[in-house]
Amino acid sequence: MREHWFWWLLTAAVVTWYSTVTVYVAIKGVTDIRTMLRHLGSVKSTEGES
Amino acid sequence: MPRPLADVPAGSPKAYLEGKKTRPSAGPRRLIGEPATAGDREPRGYGGKPFFCYDSARPFVNPWFKSTSMSNFTWIDGSIVGVYLLATMAAGIAVRRYVGKVEHFLVAGREMNLYLGIASLAATEFGIVTCMYTAQLGYEAGFAGATPGILYAAAMLLVGLTGFCIKPLRDAGVITIPELFQNRYGSRVRWLSGVVIVLGGLLNMGVFLRMGGDFLVQVCGLEVRHLVPMMGMLLAAVAIYTILGGMLSVLVTDFLQFIVMSAGLLIVTLLTLHNVGWSKLVETVNTHYGAGGFNPLVHPKMGIDYVVYNGVVNLAAVLTWQTIIQRLLAAKDTRTGRRIYTHTSFFFVCRFLIPAIWGIAALSIMAPDQLAGIFPEVDQVRRSLLAMPRYLSTAVPWGLMGLLVAAMLAADMSTDSAYMLTWGGVIYNDILAPFRRNWTERKGILINRAIIASIGVFLFFFGLYYDLKGDVWTYLTVTGSIYLSSMSVLLIACCYWKRANSWGAMAAIVVGAIVPITLLVLQQTDRYKPFCDEWQYVLGAMTYATAGAAMIIGSLLKPRGTVTSGAGE
Repeated sequence: MREHWFWWLLTAAVVTWYSTVTVYVAIKGVTDIRTMLRHLGSVKSTEGES
Repeated sequence: MPRPLADVPAGSPKAYLEGKKTRPSAGPRRLIGEPATAGDREPRGYGGKPFFCYDSARPFVNPWFKSTSMSNFTWIDGSIVGVYLLATMAAGIAVRRYVGKVEHFLVAGREMNLYLGIASLAATEFGIVTCMYTAQLGYEAGFAGATPGILYAAAMLLVGLTGFCIKPLRDAGVITIPELFQNRYGSRVRWLSGVVIVLGGLLNMGVFLRMGGDFLVQVCGLEVRHLVPMMGMLLAAVAIYTILGGMLSVLVTDFLQFIVMSAGLLIVTLLTLHNVGWSKLVETVNTHYGAGGFNPLVHPKMGIDYVVYNGVVNLAAVLTWQTIIQRLLAAKDTRTGRRIYTHTSFFFVCRFLIPAIWGIAALSIMAPDQLAGIFPEVDQVRRSLLAMPRYLSTAVPWGLMGLLVAAMLAADMSTDSAYMLTWGGVIYNDILAPFRRNWTERKGILINRAIIASIGVFLFFFGLYYDLKGDVWTYLTVTGSIYLSSMSVLLIACCYWKRANSWGAMAAIVVGAIVPITLLVLQQTDRYKPFCDEWQYVLGAMTYATAGAAMIIGSLLKPRGTVTSGAGE
């Protein structure tokens, strides 16, 4: 481990960062999808009325 | 849990099963690839010739499912994959009703926010093909094989923080890069740029479906004859929702696929690290590659030219790779687009290092000379490509195998759908631009759908019939360079050099395409293949330098004040 500390640290960073981002994006992404579809839905209904 | 082959005793799994929990009798130690003996389970796979492998002697990991396949894939895993497929298809098809205009179909109405952008970019840029070639790099070069990922992440972070090129590109409000070029270089350059982008992009993507099929066949323990149905199933699943919902379906499915893919990648990596162990991974790399396995600068097949070439290619890809750019252009504003770049940058280290670790784990179980016994009818290049999925097929236990296959399907489907949509978007927006007069939105969407379906057919046949000669990463960088070199030069000049004009742009496109295409053709010949292999990185880096020189010379040669057709439209 001491010999190749760079790759050990990078592997640890990859596992930690990726786990954290996956959970965070999974939660916040749902809000993004809802907002996006709501906007597109309102745009479509406005265009349909006009 | 996989053990080193040398420690696997010979014995009869059948006897083990019938004798309930008695272990196979200890026998002489055998190497993978040796001829099978009477006590071995009947092996399957390439060639169908009996040979000893890890699974042949290993007692069942899962005695409840008396599978005759060498893989741990069971009906429970199949159910997990089925649920994933149904959920993705349903989500992808459900959002099609929001598609009312071509802009919705191609850039999701520019409504994409940060977290959806991160999920979409990460899912798009990690497919089975990515997993295969990065694992191949890990198998053939050890940890040094993850070097392109570090360079990619650095380029992504730099561009995101500075907004270099991507800020003016997003501010322009275009759908594709060639559309931006029309204002500076004219409509001819826009059209030609579209042709070069599609040519490079489709050749690049041509091997994706085949790689996906290869991986799934290996991991599920199927025979090689199942490759074509597997490719067909993959393509059909992706094409249905991409054709119906365009970018909206791609974004929503990307999000689901990101979660499934990430969960699978992380769990399998932790399992690999636990089973094989860090020390064993390091020892394996040290044994096979010495210091070169940890440092690309001293690796005999890498060196400074490899690092420089990858640095240049990755910077160009970050600036102009259409699937990345499409996420920037679909972002709700420029700031969000730049944040997607910075926040996703470290993912590119994961993208290379995680499969590289899997590849090294495969190397610790199956050395290159042993691979010849496992895949006797497969050429040397493809053997190292198949090592990782072969390893996973036995190292990942049932239950988790379903998650792994679902994760890889998710990775592949998100990549294939995004790439099909992207190149289809360039064909519609730029190549068909001269013919697109008075087309209604409805007709535009219909044409886009037809283009995507045609790309799907191309992928299927190209994947089946193209014979890959070199390693996959080199093929991808060479085909990508057909347009990356010229488009990156055109984009930088368009944004930051006032003297740049159509003559320079045309010269850069032609020069930038000639070198990689020539290299690709020469690689297919036995006579010039050794030369191409030796000088590929230098020649690849020179492509970018010559494209830049062509832009400067061409632009300076054109008399000032000459009006370019279509410019400023």
